[in-house]
Amino acid sequence: FRFKDSLAEDLQSADLVISHAGAGSCLETLEKGKPLIVVINDKLMDNHQLELAKQLHRDGYVLYCNCSTLVETLQSMDLSALKPFPPGQPEKFALFLDKVFEFQ
Amino acid sequence: TGGHTTEILRLLSCLSESYSPRHYVLADSDKMSEAKIRSFEQKRAETFSKSQFTLDRIPRSREVRQSWISSVLTTLYSILYSLPLTYKRKPDLILCNGPGTCVPICISAFLLGLLRIKRTTIVYVESICRVETLSLSGKILYYFSDYFIVQWPDLKKKYAKSVYLGRIV
Repeated sequence: FRFKDSLAEDLQSADLVISHAGAGSCLETLEKGKPLIVVINDKLMDNHQLELAKQLHRDGYVLYCNCSTLVETLQSMDLSALKPFPPGQPEKFALFLDKVFEFQ
Repeated sequence: TGGHTTEILRLLSCLSESYSPRHYVLADSDKMSEAKIRSFEQKRAETFSKSQFTLDRIPRSREVRQSWISSVLTTLYSILYSLPLTYKRKPDLILCNGPGTCVPICISAFLLGLLRIKRTTIVYVESICRVETLSLSGKILYYFSDYFIVQWPDLKKKYAKSVYLGRIV
């Protein structure tokens, strides 16, 4: 299970996801519209990996805790307060590049 | 590598065939990106039949947490290795989003520009993971890129020359 190629199927059938703060995991989960609790391990993690998790929490997309507060979080969580995560817009990037190169 | 590849393929997803042929450059140690790229290009070829791409590998310029001194040496080696590749492809546009691989390629293109051999537009898109601080590649390429795109407003505030388009991946 650890090295499955894709968790897409598991994600699709999940009601709640509890994950580390890796960007790929967070974004994949949010894009599938699943409620997400991000668990931070202060001892292991690079500061920069926390940036995205913190921001997603600030914006109201995920819940956030560390290993010792996970149980408490699960007991008191209100998943309906989480906002739906709008998808990124690569079309804006395409428009920008087209302007740079003056393609119509 | 991994997350970078996924992000860059998303960036490419809305580009027209004006951006062709596409030349992908990977680190020699990268095992997973090739499959993702081929899958992307295969789907693309279903819509755009004349779609073309190539795939090259260069030595990885720096391992995670590699020491400063040895990083400078391995990066210099990667730049030298990249020069013939960049010279051969003579790209009009280099698009990168932060893996160590992109620094030597961009620097080699920059050098070819200084030598008036080929003027390449360098577009750097910082990863979506970077909300408050830039990656090391970003910090370096901020000075070498023609367009430096960030995906969060805090970075736009800190780096005045950057471009903010919102989340684009």
